[in-house]
Amino acid sequence: MKDTLIQDSLKVAEQAISASSDKGDSTNIWMWVAIGEFAIIVGLLLAKKLKRKSNAKQRFKEEALSQDVDFNNIIKSSFHSTELYDILKVKCHPDRFPTDPELNGIADKLFQEITKNKTNHKRLEELKIEAEQKLNINF
Amino acid sequence: MFSNTWNNILDWFRDRSDRSRLVRSFNESARNSFVSGVAPTLLKAKISKGESSYKHQFSNWLNTGFRIQAFTGRQLSRDELIHIGKVILNDETLVRKLVVLGWDTLEIHGDEGTYGCRWQLKDHIPLPKFNQDNQ
Repeated sequence: MKDTLIQDSLKVAEQAISASSDKGDSTNIWMWVAIGEFAIIVGLLLAKKLKRKSNAKQRFKEEALSQDVDFNNIIKSSFHSTELYDILKVKCHPDRFPTDPELNGIADKLFQEITKNKTNHKRLEELKIEAEQKLNINF
Repeated sequence: MFSNTWNNILDWFRDRSDRSRLVRSFNESARNSFVSGVAPTLLKAKISKGESSYKHQFSNWLNTGFRIQAFTGRQLSRDELIHIGKVILNDETLVRKLVVLGWDTLEIHGDEGTYGCRWQLKDHIPLPKFNQDNQ
């Protein structure tokens, strides 16, 4: 009688264990989901806390890095800007328009701009077109 | 303090990546210009040791020189070197970028000969003075 009871209780225990282990799988999934959510929340909070407050130096740096550099123009200017500048400074010199005060004024402004951008080929090309249109110069 | 260190580490990696990207872009443009015949000489940018006395507030600890080498196959004249340097220095956007990425020296060299020219970048851009606590 006692042996039968023990055997029954063992069976019940076995069933209980197997039932709980079946349930355990689903519990495990939800536990990992909870851990994942917790990790995400902690990560977001840390990222917010560690985020650097923007200061003047940082802003200066970000502003400088956001601008684009035209390397093609730099390379071209290194070899061709002097040549173009030499042509423009002769053709657009204000002394070539002594009789017409209006043209002289335009030439004066253009000449100043040409001198300012003597190493910028792209800008010199733009000024050349401007000179052709405003001063009727034939290059 | 932890936050500061963490941000400095992030900045270091970001700057390193930006520096490499800038050098790569320059070299790519120079190569394309040379191949297409726009430029008669191949220019190549690389990072060099730099001059320690040219340091400024954005300077890196090491390798603060931006060196451009011109592959002409002959000794470049002083005027040619100065002209290439002036083109770089007159581009305010590029100089500003070089400064904030930690470079403080611009060097121009030929592939022949033993001399070149160098400039300190902070002379060519108005750098605001920032406080010690970076406010």
